[in-house]
Amino acid sequence: MFTPDNIYYPRYYVTKKLSPKAPSLIYVSHPHFVADNFALFRPVLRGIVARRCLQRERRADAPTNRKTGKALSRAGEGRGGLALPRPGSARARDGGWGTRTMDLAHIRNFSIIAHIDHGKTTLSDQLLLRTGTVATRNMEAQHLDSMDLERERGITIKAHPVTMTYRAGNGEDYELNLIDTPGHVDFSYEVSRSLSACEGALLIVDAAQGVEAQTVANVHLAMKQNLTIIPVINKIDLPHANVPLTRQQLEDILAIPADSAIEASAKEGIGIESILEAIVARIPPPKPTGAISLQALCFDSYFDTYKGVVTHVRIFNGELRRGMQVKLLNSGKNYEVKEVGSFNPKPYERPQLEVGETGYVTANIKSPKDVRMGDTFTDARVPSPPLPGYQEIHPMVFSGIYPINTADYEHLKASMAKLQLNDSAFVYQPESSVALGFGFHCGFLGLLHLEIVQERLRREYNLDIIATYPSVIYRVRMSDSLVKEIDNPAFLPDPAFVAEIMEPTVQAFIICPNEYIGDMMALVSEKRGLLDHTETVDTKRVMLTCRLPLNEILIDFHDRIKSLTRGYGSMDYEHGGYQVSDMVKLDILVNGEPVDAFSCIVHRSKAESRGRALAAKLKEVIPRQQFAVAIQAAIGGKVVARETVSAFRKDVTAKCYGGDISRKRKLLEKQKEGKKRMKSIGSVNIPQQAFIEVLKA
Amino acid sequence: MMVPARSLRPNAPKPPSAPIGHLYIHVPFCARKCHYCAFYSETANASLIDQYVTALIRELELVAPDLRPRTVYFGGGTPSLLNLRQWERILDAMGRLDLLGADEWTVETNPATVSLDKAKLLESHGVNRISMGVQSLDQPLLERLGRIHTRDMVFRSFDTLRRAGFDNLNLDLMFAIPGQTMPVWRATLREAIALGSEHLSSYEVIYEEDTPLFQQLKASRLDVDDDLACDMFEELAAQAAAHGYRQYEVANFAKHLGPQPLGEVPDRACRHNVNYWRGGSFYGLGPSATSYVRGVRTKNWSSTHLYCQLLAKGQRAFESTETLSPMSRAGETAAFGLRMNAGWPFDEFLRVTGFDLRVEWRNDMAELERQGLAKLRPDRFQLTDRGLRFADLAAERFLRPFMGSRSRF
Repeated sequence: MFTPDNIYYPRYYVTKKLSPKAPSLIYVSHPHFVADNFALFRPVLRGIVARRCLQRERRADAPTNRKTGKALSRAGEGRGGLALPRPGSARARDGGWGTRTMDLAHIRNFSIIAHIDHGKTTLSDQLLLRTGTVATRNMEAQHLDSMDLERERGITIKAHPVTMTYRAGNGEDYELNLIDTPGHVDFSYEVSRSLSACEGALLIVDAAQGVEAQTVANVHLAMKQNLTIIPVINKIDLPHANVPLTRQQLEDILAIPADSAIEASAKEGIGIESILEAIVARIPPPKPTGAISLQALCFDSYFDTYKGVVTHVRIFNGELRRGMQVKLLNSGKNYEVKEVGSFNPKPYERPQLEVGETGYVTANIKSPKDVRMGDTFTDARVPSPPLPGYQEIHPMVFSGIYPINTADYEHLKASMAKLQLNDSAFVYQPESSVALGFGFHCGFLGLLHLEIVQERLRREYNLDIIATYPSVIYRVRMSDSLVKEIDNPAFLPDPAFVAEIMEPTVQAFIICPNEYIGDMMALVSEKRGLLDHTETVDTKRVMLTCRLPLNEILIDFHDRIKSLTRGYGSMDYEHGGYQVSDMVKLDILVNGEPVDAFSCIVHRSKAESRGRALAAKLKEVIPRQQFAVAIQAAIGGKVVARETVSAFRKDVTAKCYGGDISRKRKLLEKQKEGKKRMKSIGSVNIPQQAFIEVLKA
Repeated sequence: MMVPARSLRPNAPKPPSAPIGHLYIHVPFCARKCHYCAFYSETANASLIDQYVTALIRELELVAPDLRPRTVYFGGGTPSLLNLRQWERILDAMGRLDLLGADEWTVETNPATVSLDKAKLLESHGVNRISMGVQSLDQPLLERLGRIHTRDMVFRSFDTLRRAGFDNLNLDLMFAIPGQTMPVWRATLREAIALGSEHLSSYEVIYEEDTPLFQQLKASRLDVDDDLACDMFEELAAQAAAHGYRQYEVANFAKHLGPQPLGEVPDRACRHNVNYWRGGSFYGLGPSATSYVRGVRTKNWSSTHLYCQLLAKGQRAFESTETLSPMSRAGETAAFGLRMNAGWPFDEFLRVTGFDLRVEWRNDMAELERQGLAKLRPDRFQLTDRGLRFADLAAERFLRPFMGSRSRF
């Protein structure tokens, strides 16, 4: 545990003066950079993060210089009187790098946070329209959601920055940088990454739906980052909108002053002007950190075949110019900047990005892995310390992904590398399975994240893949008290040598209408959860806080809440540590052969019912073969469920004459194709669908 | 892969003087559409039928120079729906074009539309085989299937056809109809066999897309009981064999009356259909009909209006054409020929396709034999009785990847 007292503050060492023209610039290096070992810096970052967590209390109206946290000031103190810009000095305010196009006072960086479907994307589109960034005739609904999947599911997965110019009521032009955020529980990491590039956030609440669990979680994230929050009550035009109640909820649940909320209807274009004015008036302008050189936070990236990695950055200090030598502090690698620019929302090149601004940078970075999100670009010659955005991402859900055609392995590998570029939370490493051959063991933030990665592999990379049953990380204490972390059922040690197994838990918040509280409590207890306490949200709704095993909420928890409450319930969670549980490994055998892809770790109380459900599901999805197929579920060699797929007795088109031959041939060709895509376990052909269905069972 | 000698290439032009010996004519009219039927047909309308007859005669004129039919088959639809005068126009045109005199000339009929004078007219022009769409002899099932005829009409029409002089009759029967129990199927089978037709076509209900039956299945109002369907087929095979019918294709049974000894197929087998399964050429005329002429497959538009319009301009009414590469075509020919009990004689296959089964499909044949689905004989490859019930499984193995061209007009 880090406390402010044991934070390690880096020291800087002067090596040489740069040039007579810039006598104030000192070329500094740090032993850790030289050693190229960023790991040594992690305590610093963790310390900063830990300290920020202690500063939970909401910031008062006058913003402090959030990026020049105390840690950095102390680093400044450690410079021993060197001629570095002092925080707050004139040079520090403009980053110490001379003139700029838009002065800092006229830049605002903000995000929009909202519960799914509360209108975030529609509002973003309206802001683009109102500021003239996008002309009405070029408007395509949901401008910022560029992935097909995002449009289809109505969710935002990736963060997109866009720069707008707005002439405010006071007649002055402001540069507004909107950094879009994802809107799902799985992606809170991405949300916080986007938020860390901003000084403020619009909080959108649906006037008809009120505050939802997701809203609570996202506001907590924004508050942790000390952002100015501008509440917007959206959809006021709906007949069942209840604005006063929504204001009351903001105050009661989120401690946001009710009268600070702006009423709007993004769909009807109501209140957009007030929102823009509030952005200018309430959100503080960016302030340089006071470091000695460039500090640019990487908050997103994508891969361009011609330019390599295109990184989205927020300049916290200094400026970023074409031709500049920069260093990525995490990887320690140096690059020459090839291009910088902004988004409007299409990318356009600019001569430089200056302090406070948001945009993109390309630097011939070939490998996605070299740019970790949250990393800091700094001047290679005069490195500054890293910004506190970097955080190791810890995947919570694991699943094996295998190509259906073994020949696709290399293609899958390359595709995953590309996906990872746009999705740093996705991690993978090679593994092999007896049943499925060579594939990858992958880590995800949650189940939606897993689904999205799979679907992108299928659609964008045209891959046929199989995914195994998702797992979490179990901690296994062996008899010799050694603790092993197991995220793959295949590696669960023999129970004879296991003292105890611990599983990860979450603290979940469920908001639902009063009448469903019984259903919710039943669901929580079905999922082996414990209700902590209940709070009243308003006269109609309650919030349940409970502790649940993570593995129980992986598959259908969210869907069940939605269906039990007819869509009115919502859920979010935080990770909540480990607890000892009676976990066992459940194996599935097909004609006596264990199918490792179907193995899973489950709680003993659920093993039998899960085994029966799996076997029954498999019976449904395994097509009849020419011989009978036995499906068994077993715990430690003891069969707990058995199903039989009887042999089929015929496979013939009843009637076939001249006119049908062409059509029948195409049908047969299709069937043949389908069979090729089946996985052969022993002599049993199992279609890909079986794996997917079993995953959902 | 072995490349066949050039002279054996299926594309090698046959002597231009050998005209096509098989003619199919589609009559796309029905009094009412049956619930299981996916063939193209529309509800009858006297003036449209007249236009159709005019267009059909035009199409016959276009292909007649390349046609010397040994078999003719009028299918539908309901060919028997055409009235006497319409039949006369078609038959006259065929006479004028020298298309009469086929060894086997079949006309499909619906038991509700058979009349003695129509039957006599057909018989007098050389029609010598009638296929009657009975489907079932259970009145409630006939109604469920949307058939327009009753069970009594079947018996009456059968007598009428015999009286008109037909000595080669086929009955179409369906089993595994939703709601059909084993006793009901046995009764239908017994009564149909008792009629003493020379030929039986009997097949399991196929749930074709775009049929009311398929919609009902999708809405899960129907149950598909594969085991019952298999039992019904076994009952069919047993009953047919016990009464002198020999199975010669997955769904076809015929008597062998002699005096010649039994050859590849019983002598009352439908030669026209045998030509299909053996990959032979044929002309198919009428809306939606398919032709397969010297390796090129064409399909007419499935619209009587469009068909009539195009033929009025003197054009064939092609909707699409498909030309397979020799190998894909040989694969297809192999696959569909296996539906016949006689299987494929190696020399016949080589003659038709230019490829040797024993070379190109050696492994597939060995594997099927290993599974007990087929027999590899010195002169031929054929599926066993069990293999015939897995004919699609076998067919898939014989298909080769699609290579060739498809186009639409």
